[in-house]
Amino acid sequence: MSEPSMTESQTTERGTSSTAASAPADLPAPRGGPAAGPAVAIRGLGKRFGDVIAVKGIDLDVPRGSFFGLVGPNGAGKTTTLSMVTGLLRPTVGQAFVLGHDVWADPVAAKRLLGILPDGLRTFDRLTGLQLITYSGLLRGMPRELAAERATELVNALGLASAQGKLVVDYSAGMTKKVTLASALIHGPRVLVLDEPFEAVDPVSSATIRSILADFVGSGGTVILSSHVMDLVERICSHVAVIADGRVLAHGGIEEVREGQSLEQRFVSLVGGTTQVEGLSWLRTSSD
Amino acid sequence: MVAHLVRLKLTLLRNMFRRSRAQAIGVVFAVVYFGFLVVAMAFGAASLRVDLGLAVDIIPVAGAVAVVLWSLVPLFSFGSDPTLDPARFATFAVPPRQLAIGLIAGALVGLPAIATMLISAGVMVAWSHTVLSTLVGIVSTAVAVLTAVTMSRWVSAVATAALSSRRGNDVMGVLALILLVLLSPVLIVLSNAGGDYLAVVRSVSSVAGWTPLGWAWAAPGDIALGHTVVGLLRLALGVAFLWALGVLWLRALTRQVENPRSAARSGSATTADGDLGLLDRGPDTPTGAVAMRVLVYWWRDPRYQAGMLLTPFVPLALLIPYFTSDVRWVTLLMAPLLAFMMAWGEHNAVAYEADAFWMHVAAGTPGLADRRGRLVPSLLVAVPLVIVYAVAGAALAARFDLLAVVLGLSVALLGTAYAVSSVLSVVLPYPVAKPGESPFSTPPGATGITLAAQTVAAISSVVLSAPPIVLALLAWSGAVWAVWAGAVVGLVWGVMLFEIGVRVGARVYERRAPELLASLTAN
Repeated sequence: MSEPSMTESQTTERGTSSTAASAPADLPAPRGGPAAGPAVAIRGLGKRFGDVIAVKGIDLDVPRGSFFGLVGPNGAGKTTTLSMVTGLLRPTVGQAFVLGHDVWADPVAAKRLLGILPDGLRTFDRLTGLQLITYSGLLRGMPRELAAERATELVNALGLASAQGKLVVDYSAGMTKKVTLASALIHGPRVLVLDEPFEAVDPVSSATIRSILADFVGSGGTVILSSHVMDLVERICSHVAVIADGRVLAHGGIEEVREGQSLEQRFVSLVGGTTQVEGLSWLRTSSD
Repeated sequence: MVAHLVRLKLTLLRNMFRRSRAQAIGVVFAVVYFGFLVVAMAFGAASLRVDLGLAVDIIPVAGAVAVVLWSLVPLFSFGSDPTLDPARFATFAVPPRQLAIGLIAGALVGLPAIATMLISAGVMVAWSHTVLSTLVGIVSTAVAVLTAVTMSRWVSAVATAALSSRRGNDVMGVLALILLVLLSPVLIVLSNAGGDYLAVVRSVSSVAGWTPLGWAWAAPGDIALGHTVVGLLRLALGVAFLWALGVLWLRALTRQVENPRSAARSGSATTADGDLGLLDRGPDTPTGAVAMRVLVYWWRDPRYQAGMLLTPFVPLALLIPYFTSDVRWVTLLMAPLLAFMMAWGEHNAVAYEADAFWMHVAAGTPGLADRRGRLVPSLLVAVPLVIVYAVAGAALAARFDLLAVVLGLSVALLGTAYAVSSVLSVVLPYPVAKPGESPFSTPPGATGITLAAQTVAAISSVVLSAPPIVLALLAWSGAVWAVWAGAVVGLVWGVMLFEIGVRVGARVYERRAPELLASLTAN
């Protein structure tokens, strides 16, 4: 029922996409009005799976135009939180807002503004790369001509041009990441939520993705990404939140959170793990 | 290794009851229902002890059929158990011989095997006439059960390897044809019998008892009848056949463990740059996109092909009673049966996508686009086939006067079953083989929920199309007015219920899409 209106908004946008063609990565510019309020606001968000409480009430503001890093140890609840923010997993309690739209009360409006790269979920991998990216646009009600045009641009920008006719199932892990990222970008989202976007991606592609994301943020978009790699987050993010055991331990501008240490040192002291390894003597081959 | 695999299977069996409450109830329901059936069959087998002649007539042919079922059923419906997929053990350094034995032992710990063993216990009782016949009965029945299980493993391994290659798809088609061709001698034998079915069973049984499938089943009967040499010969042949199957299984398994990737991939297709393939063909709407994507999957995903290859042929089974007895009208049912099968087949459509479904959720795809789009490919196949079968059926039955009502009833069943599928695929998805897994595997411990969902889908489709069914029955029994009434009502009914079902499905979808995704990810 929202098909016609979606098509209409996409058609009007077609005019503006030509101006974006001059942007370095040939990507459509983020749409939207003037900045006001956070890009993503999370209020008392919690999730329970049976007896396990994975996320224990998170409050977080992601400022507009920020490059926001979400870091935490394995099993901290990063993926669960991001899934709840993006409308993929219904929260047990709490709310999430994307540019003022409640994700769970008005999902259609919120999802139109969001681009998502989930971690560990399959894609329709029996499609070719180009088909998959286009399909993602068509699902969102984009006219086919526009979707195909942008899909080709994205394929070229992400260095997938030579593999566009191959089935995604035959892609490497890094290529799959890139093609999924392209599927998240095709409708010109204003907020990108990326779960582990650099995992298994080679250094050249990683640099390409980083420059695309930097352009996106530079032109007013907001990026939220989760990662285990502290160096990377420290280098590219403007803001960071540390979560562990389903709670936010620290958040704010990256300098604020670091408190003069390196992010990794700060992270380890916040999370309170030990890096000392005990046992495993049989692994040390010198003990033979 | 053997103990580990058996323990793994026991854990899986126990975990069937650890799912959600609804699923656990489904499992209990299925176990109780089939439990009764199996126990009744076991007693039936045991009661053959009082009539040795009848036992000798029935048990070899029934046993041979059981072996065939063990090999074929996993291929076409319930699927084999992926815990027993040899390719999964490729990364563990397990000697193939141990793995082969372990996987057989693992297969013995499962509901189908337990049911078979219970019935076989009844068979052992049936042979307990003399000491020797009792002993041979126990040994050779055990050999026969092992033969069934080993053959099933071997056939699954070979079929998985075959179907995952592009050439394998053609092999599958040829196999389906061979099965159809094999039906005709059965038809001829049955039609010549002219009613004396016991005589037919007796002659078939004496043949089956001399085939590899029947050797072990027939041996105890010979002993009980006093033909000790023949009995021992058959037992020896049965053991030799089991041994040969074991060797074949070991060989297939070694191949799969050494080269596991070939089992999970199909031949890679490459298209030209900028070519959108089918996605460029359909209407330029989300509905069209979903429909074309599903069509692409029918083309490229072996899991869909296994079903699509067989369903269109199912109505041909009605030719058996047509040719063997004098029920000419039975071919009139071909079109309604096909309509029902095709539409019913969509009742778990979303589950086949597994967690790739997140793309639909993330895009906020409108419910109507998702629901309608998914049904389009199936409709494209079903509608022409319904027409063909309706005309062919009416021609064979020489009842062109009933063609209108047959078409009406088919449309009604098609629409109603699509409506039910449209709602049920959102409400009650059950686990199926994941993309890239063998199309012949079903997730372990899902038998209960699978049966529950399939039964609900079938029964509610039939119940909801009751008015057109009643009209069709009236028309068949001679009410001329009911022919046209049935045609019109059926047509309107089918279209109306289709629309209602799609709309209800769309509303449920929009409310429940995240929960649906969660259940697909969990499975």
